Amino acid sequence: MQKRIAARYASERRFKYLGMAAVLLSAGFLAFLLFKMVGDGAGGFTRTEVAVPIDFRSAPLVIDPATVNAQALSGANLQGVTAQAADAALGEGGDAMLSPNAWLTVRDAILDDPKILTQKVTLSLPGSTGIDLAAKSNASAADEAAYTRLQKAGVVSTGFNSAFLTASDATDPTQVGIWGAFKGSLLTMLVTLLLSFPVGVATALYLEEYAPKAWWTDIIEVSINNLAAVPSIIFGLLGLAIFLNLLDFPRSAALVGGMTLALMTMPVIVIAGRNAIKAVPPSIRDAALGVGASPVQVVFHHVLPLALPGILTGTIIGMARALGETAPLLMIGMRAFIATPPGGVTDPATVLPVQIFLWSDEVSKGFIEKTSAAIIVLLAFLLAMNGLAIYLRNKFEKRW
Amino acid sequence: MTGPAILLLLLGLGVAAWISARARATRLQTTANAGPVRGAMHSLPSYHGWYVALWTLIPGLIFLAVWSNVMPSLVTDAVLADPAAQSLPPGGFGRGAILNEARNIASGNQAAAFNPAAQALVEPYRAATSRYGTVGVILAIVLAFAGGAYAFTRIRPDFRARTRVERLVMGLLLGASLIAIITTVGIVASLLWESLRFFSMVNPFEFLFGTKWSPQSAAMGYGNAGAFGAVPLFWGTIFIGAIIAMIVAIPLGLMSAVYLTQYAKPSTRKWMKPILEILAGVPTVVYGYFAALTIAPALRDFAVSIGIHGASSESALAAGLVMGVMIIPFVSSMADDSIAAVPQAMRDGSLAMGATTSETIKRVLIPAALPGVVGGVLLAVSRAIGETMIVVMAAGLAANLTLNPFSSVTTVTTQIVQLLTGDQEFDSAKTLAAFALGLVLFIVTLLLNIVALRVVKKYREAYE
Repeated sequence: MQKRIAARYASERRFKYLGMAAVLLSAGFLAFLLFKMVGDGAGGFTRTEVAVPIDFRSAPLVIDPATVNAQALSGANLQGVTAQAADAALGEGGDAMLSPNAWLTVRDAILDDPKILTQKVTLSLPGSTGIDLAAKSNASAADEAAYTRLQKAGVVSTGFNSAFLTASDATDPTQVGIWGAFKGSLLTMLVTLLLSFPVGVATALYLEEYAPKAWWTDIIEVSINNLAAVPSIIFGLLGLAIFLNLLDFPRSAALVGGMTLALMTMPVIVIAGRNAIKAVPPSIRDAALGVGASPVQVVFHHVLPLALPGILTGTIIGMARALGETAPLLMIGMRAFIATPPGGVTDPATVLPVQIFLWSDEVSKGFIEKTSAAIIVLLAFLLAMNGLAIYLRNKFEKRW
Repeated sequence: MTGPAILLLLLGLGVAAWISARARATRLQTTANAGPVRGAMHSLPSYHGWYVALWTLIPGLIFLAVWSNVMPSLVTDAVLADPAAQSLPPGGFGRGAILNEARNIASGNQAAAFNPAAQALVEPYRAATSRYGTVGVILAIVLAFAGGAYAFTRIRPDFRARTRVERLVMGLLLGASLIAIITTVGIVASLLWESLRFFSMVNPFEFLFGTKWSPQSAAMGYGNAGAFGAVPLFWGTIFIGAIIAMIVAIPLGLMSAVYLTQYAKPSTRKWMKPILEILAGVPTVVYGYFAALTIAPALRDFAVSIGIHGASSESALAAGLVMGVMIIPFVSSMADDSIAAVPQAMRDGSLAMGATTSETIKRVLIPAALPGVVGGVLLAVSRAIGETMIVVMAAGLAANLTLNPFSSVTTVTTQIVQLLTGDQEFDSAKTLAAFALGLVLFIVTLLLNIVALRVVKKYREAYE
């Protein structure tokens, strides 16, 4: 008997530990994923810089320090000056150790302080992909050798890579940035929100407050619940067949991306909205009706304001899902190489998740840390949105 | 005038109409209230404002929408009537190309003409565009004023403005809710239409039961026969989504739910549940990247070290494992709900008989909650087989009919992406095959969802 009880208790403990292990394993996987992304991606926010002395006095530049502007400097041969200075300072092949857009840093330095045009200054210029890789992980033997030489000369340092936040896609990993994709994401989200929020709220209001019990309202309900469970790639196929092939909207545009995602987000908003509207107690409706309000007034003056926090929470969660969505956007052609940020919703654009997908396909090793860095930015945004949703839910949650 | 400017102008007119109508109704109300009957005004002044504003806006907007569709053909007619168009080739493709070029230059989308004939047409194009544009704007404004004036004359104490405005609001609400039906119909129609075109080229039985998938060879002109057998794709999808992913997700999800509902302290539960839910919120492209870059190489090295042949750096196991982790929160929250729905009396009864907690869970709670758990698993499977990015990035492209989890397999969603990104000719069997695959995916996920909801619903009724 004693033995049997001991065995049962042991099995009880085993079962409990098994449950704990399941939870820890799941959470551990999440921790490992985040840890790995942060570890890989942290380097994407920094860059290796090489200090290069440039003597503008002897440089073949014809610029008047009094009237310096960005246009004049782009016309001047700053690339050549930078390359010469690099060759002079770092020896033969010095130019190749710098990023191809190192001259932009020189230009910005001149714009900051035109007086340096009459001086000899030492500027920290971004290093090439090879140098950057050699500084952070392992690169080819030639790059490692070049990096060791620079290190011995004491001219390399690590700086914050502001270009990563302000530049767009490029072919060279030292020059890429997320601004273009980020702006594309913002525009796409804007279109999605403007389309799905009013439609979603209107649908929720209609179904919850006015819809008669009839066969066609049943169909509406079924189709909304069904749409919420349709795989996202099917929405991409719909967007491709209807928006692009039938209606001939521009390919790769934030407008079409936003419309496709709006169809996907709308059911989420409707379902959240209906729950929020259902939670408003009937006594409020009765009271409003009792003092002579019309059914439309009851809803728009009383029910909707009370349900709005709940609807907003659902909307933010739906938008967060849309922000992370990739597959439907691939279908409508948002996987092109786009080096300039979109100016409007009809311009070719890309979005953050698609940019991550495109970079993950690149063979160049420098893209690994850029991909992870972009993932960090995306995850930070999603966490912020979800955090906001939880905050709103806690703040406005009411028990009637 | 540009589109946004016209819209702003109309909007401005609408606002002006709202303000003036409301002012007039307010004056009427004051005089009406001074009269013998209190509350003689049927509607509040702002409803009269809305009524007039809507009458101002809607006719103008409808006209603009129609006009923007009619205008291009009017412009083309005007250009063709121009003397400069006399030398054009009579009809056909060449003429269309020249007209198109002229239109692009005139609208500033193109800098210079390749065809001199197009250059000659640019000026007539610009003239006709601006002429018809001006006509459109003037007509829209006239309509707006006419509508506004008509509505304005109707402002009277006994006019039921509120009823009219509310009827429109109800119409809008109903219209919004119909969008869900339209979307569903759009999905089904576009999938069916393109699939039917595909099945006119490829035998549907061959598609559903064939075992060789090589759309590339069909595209290269070896004919469609025998190239579109989708069974390896279906197998790959089931292998990754319904087998490997579920082997990971069901035990982990179920045990997590059991631990968090039955053993964990409330404070632990409060923290752990949202943390696990983050797993479902991570974008799938991140999982895909993680699977392809971290998990897959590690698995391949492991497979090679234990001597498995055919281990690939893109493997069913890598994709399935990561997908399983993604699915954990779905399984656990469904299990959580259905365990919580088991009446407390059943649990108490079992404990009172002397059973340990784990025995209660294993013999009472889980059997009672089983339908709910099964429903949750079915929903999770439906989610997993529709998942795209993880399999695109980590599962590979080789259509293998294999049981070896370390080899590369391909799935339905991977192939849809593969077929539709790249060269796009919309009449080839290769691109249309994507829609046929989409249709199969749509039907299967739909069936899974319906069955899952049925199972859950039926189970819920058991205790009520």
